[in-house]
Amino acid sequence: MNALLLALGFFLALAGDSLPMGPLYLALRPDFVALLLLYWAITSATELGLGVAWIIGLVQDVVDGGILGAHAMAAAVMIFVLYAGLGKVRNLPPWEQLFFIFILLLAERLVAWSWQIWGGPIAWNFALLLGPLTGALLWPVFVYLLDRIRHRLRSA
Amino acid sequence: MPSLFFPRRLPQTVRLLALALFSVLLSVFTQGQGDLRSMALDAALPVQWFNGRTAALWDEVWRNLHSRAALEAENARLRQALAAAQPLLLDRDILHSENRQLLALLDSFPQAPGRVMAARVIAENFTAGNQIITVDHGQNDGVFNGQAVLAAGGLAGQVVAVGTMTSQIALLSDLDSSVPAQSAENDQPLLVSGTGNPRELQIPFQARNTPLRAGERLVTSGLGGRYPPGLPIGTIQSIRRNGTQAFADIQVRPAVALGRLNTVLLLWPQEGQPQAAKSP
Repeated sequence: MNALLLALGFFLALAGDSLPMGPLYLALRPDFVALLLLYWAITSATELGLGVAWIIGLVQDVVDGGILGAHAMAAAVMIFVLYAGLGKVRNLPPWEQLFFIFILLLAERLVAWSWQIWGGPIAWNFALLLGPLTGALLWPVFVYLLDRIRHRLRSA
Repeated sequence: MPSLFFPRRLPQTVRLLALALFSVLLSVFTQGQGDLRSMALDAALPVQWFNGRTAALWDEVWRNLHSRAALEAENARLRQALAAAQPLLLDRDILHSENRQLLALLDSFPQAPGRVMAARVIAENFTAGNQIITVDHGQNDGVFNGQAVLAAGGLAGQVVAVGTMTSQIALLSDLDSSVPAQSAENDQPLLVSGTGNPRELQIPFQARNTPLRAGERLVTSGLGGRYPPGLPIGTIQSIRRNGTQAFADIQVRPAVALGRLNTVLLLWPQEGQPQAAKSP
């Protein structure tokens, strides 16, 4: 994948993750950075390093102003699970990957969420499941759009 | 992708453990470092600038979607509401001047609010426990750490990080937030803490036989000097006494719609008043 395209993609994903658009958007929005990271890991020819995922998660932490290390760890765990446990997912068509994407996004959110323990005791909130759910449902569309963009750029 | 950190042969599990250890150390050592947060805020400026533009564009599109007729109807309704509120405002002015005179008699400070500045919300950085928003004013405008922040309805939170052109505000609903408060009905000191949920605050450590009742309104007490006294915080929604627990479970509905803030007011304390300290 083109480095410039990746940088632009992650910039937009970071922006999308903190866009002030009201409570409904907040509850439903998927973690765009995690989605893009998964897309990158699944489509790239070579394995995406855990360290790279960690760095991207750290950038997310910096932009969020939260505890440094939360999203970094979450991203590394997510990519680890993808390669270690769900390796075959990479070969499935996007709509069959949907369920696994949900699991991976959920793992990411759980790790980032549990990191908040540094801030004090936290209560479980079922709304935390919504983001990964919409993320998984959007996955086929997401893959289709990104594939189209990459194809367009390659042929141009 | 060439491996950035690790020798090629290192197993994934070992890499993950190393990263986990590194993350924990990073979290522990960077927690509560104000300078680091300011730097992070400046680093995030491009993303936040983009967000601010997008939000403004979205607002404009939304406003244009509203038909002219709807706006006219709203205008008429607001005019009526204003007319209805006029006598109340007059009342308030009279009460205010009366209060001033009485306070002067008591040789105490008149509690006029200090200078305020409106700031636009350009990012919502909400995670499980952190209820943080980013606004478009920073050090250049004189924003300082620990500054009280108001919004329509009452107190919204306080500034926790100041960048050059932006700053971050922890809302009352942030898990780390605690505000010295008192009930408008009695002057018993309380703390109102965040729960991580923008629609709910709580009062911890109140005994089961607390005199507080549902429906009571809470205001800042001014203790601790961080917030000026008398700012509305919220209303007690419910008090539950569970089983054998020593403390009552008290829910407070915030006076400000913390989940949907567009604009907030940064508050500078009046000169000569013993309010907000310069550093936390």
